[in-house]
Amino acid sequence: MELKELYVTASLAQLDLSDEEAETLSALVGQMVEYFSTMREIDVENLEPTTHALLKTNRVREDAVVESAAADTLVGNAPESEGRFIVIPNVL
Amino acid sequence: MNHSARWSNVLLSPDRTESYLDYARGWEKRIGSFLELSPPVPASPPRGDLAGIPFAVKDNIAVEGFNLTCGSKMLAGLKSPYTATAVRRLQEAGALVVGKTNLDEFGMGSSTDTSALARTSNPWDTSLVAGGSSGGSAAAVAAGIVPFALGSDTGGSIRQPAAFCGIYGLKPTYGAVSRYGLVAYASSLEGIGVVAESVGFARRVFEVIRGIDPLDHSSVEYLPSGQTPPRPRLGVVRGLAGLSGEIERAYRRAADLARGLGMEVSEVDLKTFDYVVPAYYTIATAEASANLARFNGIRYGLRPEGTENPEQLVKGARNRGFGDEVKLRILLGTYVLRSGFQDRYYVRAQKIRTAIRNDLQALFGAVDLLLLPVFPTAAFKHGEAGLTPFQQKLADRFTVTANLAGIPALSFPMGSEAGAPLGLQLLAPAFEEERLFRAAESFAEAVPLEHPPGYSEEWRS
Amino acid sequence: MYQAFVGLEIHVQLLTKSKVFCGCRAAFGDEPNTNVCPVCMGYPGVLPTLNRQAIVQAYLVARALDCELSESAVFERKNYFYPDLPKNYQISQLGSPVGRNGRVDLDLGGSRRRVPIREVHLEEDAGKMIHAGDVSLLDYNRAGTPLLEIVTEPVLERGEEAELFLQYFRRMVRYLGVCDGNMEEGSLRCDANVSVNRPGKGLGSKVEIKNMNSSRFVKKALAFEIARQSGLLDRGAPVAQETRLWNENRDLTEAMRSKEEADDYRYFPEPDLPPFKPDAAFLLDVEKGLVELPSARRERLVAEYGLGPDQVDFIIDEKSRADFFERTVALGADPLAAASWLGSDVKRLLNREGVELAESPLTPERLAGLLVLLASGRIHGKIAKQVLEVLFAEGKDPETIIRERAWEQLIDAGAIAKLVDEAIDANEKAAAQIRAGDEKPVGFLVGEIMKATSGRAEPQLVRSVLKERLAKSR
Ligand SMILES: [Mg+2]
Ligand SMILES: [Zn+2]
Repeated sequence: MELKELYVTASLAQLDLSDEEAETLSALVGQMVEYFSTMREIDVENLEPTTHALLKTNRVREDAVVESAAADTLVGNAPESEGRFIVIPNVL
Repeated sequence: MNHSARWSNVLLSPDRTESYLDYARGWEKRIGSFLELSPPVPASPPRGDLAGIPFAVKDNIAVEGFNLTCGSKMLAGLKSPYTATAVRRLQEAGALVVGKTNLDEFGMGSSTDTSALARTSNPWDTSLVAGGSSGGSAAAVAAGIVPFALGSDTGGSIRQPAAFCGIYGLKPTYGAVSRYGLVAYASSLEGIGVVAESVGFARRVFEVIRGIDPLDHSSVEYLPSGQTPPRPRLGVVRGLAGLSGEIERAYRRAADLARGLGMEVSEVDLKTFDYVVPAYYTIATAEASANLARFNGIRYGLRPEGTENPEQLVKGARNRGFGDEVKLRILLGTYVLRSGFQDRYYVRAQKIRTAIRNDLQALFGAVDLLLLPVFPTAAFKHGEAGLTPFQQKLADRFTVTANLAGIPALSFPMGSEAGAPLGLQLLAPAFEEERLFRAAESFAEAVPLEHPPGYSEEWRS
Repeated sequence: MYQAFVGLEIHVQLLTKSKVFCGCRAAFGDEPNTNVCPVCMGYPGVLPTLNRQAIVQAYLVARALDCELSESAVFERKNYFYPDLPKNYQISQLGSPVGRNGRVDLDLGGSRRRVPIREVHLEEDAGKMIHAGDVSLLDYNRAGTPLLEIVTEPVLERGEEAELFLQYFRRMVRYLGVCDGNMEEGSLRCDANVSVNRPGKGLGSKVEIKNMNSSRFVKKALAFEIARQSGLLDRGAPVAQETRLWNENRDLTEAMRSKEEADDYRYFPEPDLPPFKPDAAFLLDVEKGLVELPSARRERLVAEYGLGPDQVDFIIDEKSRADFFERTVALGADPLAAASWLGSDVKRLLNREGVELAESPLTPERLAGLLVLLASGRIHGKIAKQVLEVLFAEGKDPETIIRERAWEQLIDAGAIAKLVDEAIDANEKAAAQIRAGDEKPVGFLVGEIMKATSGRAEPQLVRSVLKERLAKSR
């Protein structure tokens, strides 16, 4: 795979690649993509894509509030917080 | 049942717990199957169908009070704030979680060697991998530390380590078991299943954990046909190439055995067989690229020091938190979904999936069960002496079909050769798990279960 | 001259109790990160579960906009990284949204026009990020609250039209009870795309405008943007395809910092949620929620009750007000009187007290009671206004108020005759003047009688009895 395509892809995936990593990964990604290309050989002309294997019925839940017992724990799990806010750096 | 009676009181008195831990720790020094091992001290004797029975849970399944690391640096130290539905149902039936088992990072691998947190080896021979990604669960069961463990199977991750470790591994019908609490890798392909020392345990655990869940809208009502043919028609696949000698022999032996057991054996073709692996990896990585996007170091998990803005923080967390195999799959999945490429890869793979389902539907008109190898070889060696990551992916060709079609499959032990266990798998139509159990029980009568050297039950007495 | 093409993208916060994919409270203004759970915080292993009320409301709006309703509404993942988006994908819809190809017919500044609706889709909102110096503070209370996105075709031509459309739309969602329509607080948000070109040349290059948090700003921002693009074309300069923000302090649009790469959201079907296929029972629920919409109601109220244009606009502006009006009329009040009271005295008192009609002590029963008393002559206009004051202050029925205060009009001829006689006795001089044929003091005597009865006596009756008495004794 071309490095340019790899970098565009990495940026969409929020991965920073070192030059060395990019080198290795472009070979590995390229190998898989080439392998994926064998899918061209099979005729899928009149087939619908399967996106949900066995799901046929609607599923909904009633609009009822479930009090969240975990809120404090969840705030506590954040690497950095201030009061009840979760904090991230932002130097403009 | 007596097979569970042997286990039901091991954690109920301090001296028994002591000998239990001695046995487990003895194994753990050699095989490293657990990331966290802390048997509970039950306040009162548990009640229920599985009262007092210890079990282990793959560390990509949530259990409140335990870690949920997924074998990744990204989540090392994260305690789960909630419990997976399957685990909760087992706990309600009286079973006790003793710990969390090692896995390939986020379930991405076939050896458990991509775990960033520990190294797991095969109890039969520590130079061999335990298989993956549920390698820790399979190794713990094979070593006799627990009678069963929960795992997850996205493309063979329960069946392959079960085969490598000489035990049973059930990948249930898609949606039969709630995925609530299973850290998603490829949501439309995977599910929670069980590795077990016996068909009996596999069946009972499955009965407990299955059923529709209000917390998982992809879970379904369990509606089996209720018909299990007394003399099932068994399909064996014509002309399978690339099998190692021992697997080829096991496969032939099983077919012969099936005839001897009164099954009607016939040869079948899988027209879509050559395309299952590329279709599988296209879909799995595409879904993974979205499923793993939530790991960004903001709300939980690894956060790098000294970053100046959100982008640096997120990229820093992902760069340091994810291992190479995970990055590779995220990149692949992102790529196959990109505009301009999506039709060529992702959409095409989903259409191939339809072809595979059609193929199997036709096939299950002619046979009741399908017999397949689990993996082209027995357990391979750690590291360079084993298989490359690419070779491992190609070797998933026997397992991913069940995931793409959403049907159940059970891997079962078929003896051993040269100190390594051999395993094969049976596939059935959706909701026909009972057919798998019955057939596996027939095989079990003819092929006695073997244990790895060092396996013992003496500590219980 | 140029032609402008404006399309709107409206985001509506639905009024559900819980979030769209988890059971957390969908409320605003609470302590940060209190309405959160593992699901809406994007924890590993959790799954979305679809709120039935949210999908009902989504279909309801699509139905109200005359959309083709999807037989299989598919949720998809829209992938992009942003700190306030917990999963770093948004569950939204693309290929098979709830509704498509709808339309709204409305008056756009004098002419009846059709605004085609491209689509209506259901999605989840993100959290909130507050910038505070060298850090940003994250609050995920809003993350996962249900959001409906409505996209119009680019057929609006001026800022005023966009404003009118938005006002219409706001009124509609309030009628349907699916959104409170508060643009300042962000429960209704509007982005626009604007392109300008020579007439007949089709669309020009498209500019997205964001950050317009009132319908007035929508008007101003679009007027500015259309003028800006026209100016560029005049000078032969290209219009850059970009996103611009409305700066309400400077009254202009400004280019947002542009990203190096184009967005690629990599939508794909959400594997965690089966497609939603509305069945007959569901569609019946949707129909039940389908109230008469403001434009239809406006026409009907004019036809049925003969309301004038300003009156009817005031009455239909709020559904609760129109309902109140019709209920009052059904209880026997004169429609024009009811409309005019609601638009004047009632409105004045509501403003003074700072309450909504629905929460005030005034009910349709009470207003109808008051207006019937007035129409039957049991009280007259001035007393009626006083009754309304007391009603607001004490929360009592008009009947009770006039009884307690003995405010009922005096219409008994005998009693009035007695009052007239007393007045004649007390004002001999004036009486004599009238008897002599000078009508001038009649008004004075009537006034004395009204004063003596605190205005309760029926003035016409007093006048006629008075004249009769003074004529007889001549
Ligand atoms: Mg949107
Ligand atoms: Zn929540």
